[in-house]
Amino acid sequence: MKIVVLAKQVPEADKVAVDPETGTLIREGVAAILNPYCEYALDEAVKLKNSHPELEIEVIAISMGPPFAVTALMRCLELGADEAYLLSDRKFAGSDVWATSTALKEGVAKLVPDFDLILTGKQAIDGDTAQVPAETAEQLGVPQITYGVETEIENKRIKVKRETDYGYQVLSARLPTLVTMSKGSNIRRIPSMQDVLDARKKKLEVKSADDLGIDESKVGLSASPTQVDRIFAPPEKAGGALVPEGTDPKVAARKLYDFLKENNYL
Amino acid sequence: MPENVIVADKIKISAFETIRSINGDKVIAESYPGYLVDESKISGGHAQWLCFPTNEQEIVSVINKMKEENQAITISAARTGIVGSAVPLLGGAVVSLERMDDFIGLGYDEEESKWFARVQPNITLNVINEIVKLKKIEESQSIPLEKNWIEKFNEEPIMFYPIDPTEMTASIGGCIAANASGARTFKYGATRDWVRRLRVIISTGEVLEIPRGKYKAKDGVFIIKTAEQEFEIKVPTYQLPKAKNAAGLYTTPEMDLIDLFIGSEGIFGFITEADVWLKDYIPHISNVAFFTNEVDAIKFVNLLRSSSKFKPEFMEYFDNNALTLLRDTQKVDPKFVDMPNIPEEAKTAISFDLGYKEDTLEETFKEIGLMLEKCNSSLKDTWSAYEERELDRFKHFRHAVPEIVNNIIAERKKKYPSIHKLGTDMSVEDEYIGEMMEFYHKILNEVGLEYVIWGHIGDNHVHVNILPKNMEDLELGKQLYKKFAQKAVSFGGSVSAEHGIGKIKHEYLEIMFGNEAINEMRQVKSTLDPNFLFNPGNIFSKEVTQ
Repeated sequence: MKIVVLAKQVPEADKVAVDPETGTLIREGVAAILNPYCEYALDEAVKLKNSHPELEIEVIAISMGPPFAVTALMRCLELGADEAYLLSDRKFAGSDVWATSTALKEGVAKLVPDFDLILTGKQAIDGDTAQVPAETAEQLGVPQITYGVETEIENKRIKVKRETDYGYQVLSARLPTLVTMSKGSNIRRIPSMQDVLDARKKKLEVKSADDLGIDESKVGLSASPTQVDRIFAPPEKAGGALVPEGTDPKVAARKLYDFLKENNYL
Repeated sequence: MPENVIVADKIKISAFETIRSINGDKVIAESYPGYLVDESKISGGHAQWLCFPTNEQEIVSVINKMKEENQAITISAARTGIVGSAVPLLGGAVVSLERMDDFIGLGYDEEESKWFARVQPNITLNVINEIVKLKKIEESQSIPLEKNWIEKFNEEPIMFYPIDPTEMTASIGGCIAANASGARTFKYGATRDWVRRLRVIISTGEVLEIPRGKYKAKDGVFIIKTAEQEFEIKVPTYQLPKAKNAAGLYTTPEMDLIDLFIGSEGIFGFITEADVWLKDYIPHISNVAFFTNEVDAIKFVNLLRSSSKFKPEFMEYFDNNALTLLRDTQKVDPKFVDMPNIPEEAKTAISFDLGYKEDTLEETFKEIGLMLEKCNSSLKDTWSAYEERELDRFKHFRHAVPEIVNNIIAERKKKYPSIHKLGTDMSVEDEYIGEMMEFYHKILNEVGLEYVIWGHIGDNHVHVNILPKNMEDLELGKQLYKKFAQKAVSFGGSVSAEHGIGKIKHEYLEIMFGNEAINEMRQVKSTLDPNFLFNPGNIFSKEVTQ
């Protein structure tokens, strides 16, 4: 059985600022990391692999990005992926979510045509669009389940517990399917020195558009129907109201009730 | 002129009234209490004056004013020190250098083939590194200007200032005065090795411009010529330990004058400007290895530091009690120790960072693998990561033990307000580290005190933290502290490897050097600052001990 993990390298989000004059991201001196949600997806893939030895699961990590994004894939290999591919080409530059998903779809179709499951992060922490997974699933013609927190494979189907605004929902789909992961374990794993060493012996290849036979007109800036108009930091949330300590419990309860009522929580 | 003679320069004086200052002990205690304490948390600081000079002229003017007023001066910067050096226990004036925190410029020393940064005393290590790493330097900041160094610097790989005394909000002036070190001293040495040049204002109100290498002691003497007098400084004759040391004044027979000021805890005057060396920055890979006993862990330390092929950035040690503390904290507050579960069978851990280079990684790891196997551990049992946020995680992990200890003590203070942690800071020579560790455990277990041991094992410098549960424990701990100091000294070590002596470790300095040596230090001070104007009470008291 083959699980593809789509991974993205992102700047460490809490250290990125927006230049107030140009509206662009200031990435100077900000380190690149594996997108945390993609790491959760990888963890889920490794968990499935370990809990189903009978399925002989192979985990293949695929990313699209500039040449230095190999470090994010190296981390995937250290954390348990079996092989990895970076789709990297100047022709991909400027791709929006649609052009990116086109490249990823072509990459998956060429490199792992017999995939059974695609796991990926629910979104990347830099752009936060959450569009690429859904569009990739559409282009590959497979079902998608988003915002997963737990998965289980049963009889060639995947069962996913997913987050909704009102709680959890459990969905099941036939394989192959694409699942995006929302949350991982509380404490992230750390590879061992042996894992780091072993990762260097695993297959990690860079593929160009030509390698994959991707038509130049379908990727990159010119194939991107959307463009980023402006980037800005979301307004900071104002602090909540506090009932001062020592307030009479009855008064405090009334205040709390009024607040919840006013804000339509009750 | 002979190389042991330096001539001080006169400085113009500003009018004292133009300098921002506060007068009155009451208003200072009420409105500016932060200037009366530092990270030592010792109480009793009080001051009649609080001044904020912005340049050398203003400092001289403050010095003259305080001489007139007959007030001692405590020099104050980031106040991150933990031995009370910045706490004005004897009153007088606190002179804060917080308005002197500029990054002046950057130059290339063609003789040494090294880059240096020129900075004011109150700039923090964080800010220096941010400016240098991100190359936020203007062309007008080239030293000298006509050399246009900035263009060349921008083509260099990422550079940084490598001393990391844990508290990166420390000021460079404070670090130089304390000869600050920290975990990475194992690879990079202490602050002393990174100071190229200093400007120091002495008690006459004149300034010494001291580049490294220019002024050397001759026949055990330095001569400092000022406008009105000539000071003959006798270089102390005691021997310094070979082990890492921050206790007492530095001395060697033909020492460089600059080294007299580095690590002198501010007792000779104000550092107003410094040149510090920079180094090219190599990314790191952080690792934590686990062992089932301490003997294996120390064997691993010895193997690791004997490697001729690579040198770790540092080696940090956690004893069984420290690991237990971390495990217990993980159970109740997993995010505080944001790491996978510490293996149950682990009784000791060694954390070590390596320079991360992809082309040598395999060879290095394989060699470490062999070392680990000899110590009954393995690469498989060793955590390893190098992504930037992972490095932060490992750093938090290394700092978690002292934080947990401080939280426990804060809790106990509610019942016993004057209780405090007893933290040692002693080093020994390489060959004695095993014996010293045994000694710590034996004595502490005998009396049944609660303790953890962690710290810079690469430099044979671990911190024993005793956690007293009541006042009897505290007294008992203090007695043990003395025993430890005696033992460390007998193993060729120091009673204070990195914190310094300040106002709270005088008695241990005595154990280490004896009264005669301390009187030699006092003699230097009395010559250069006869009225004990600067930082009285740091390192030793004014009164001669018999």
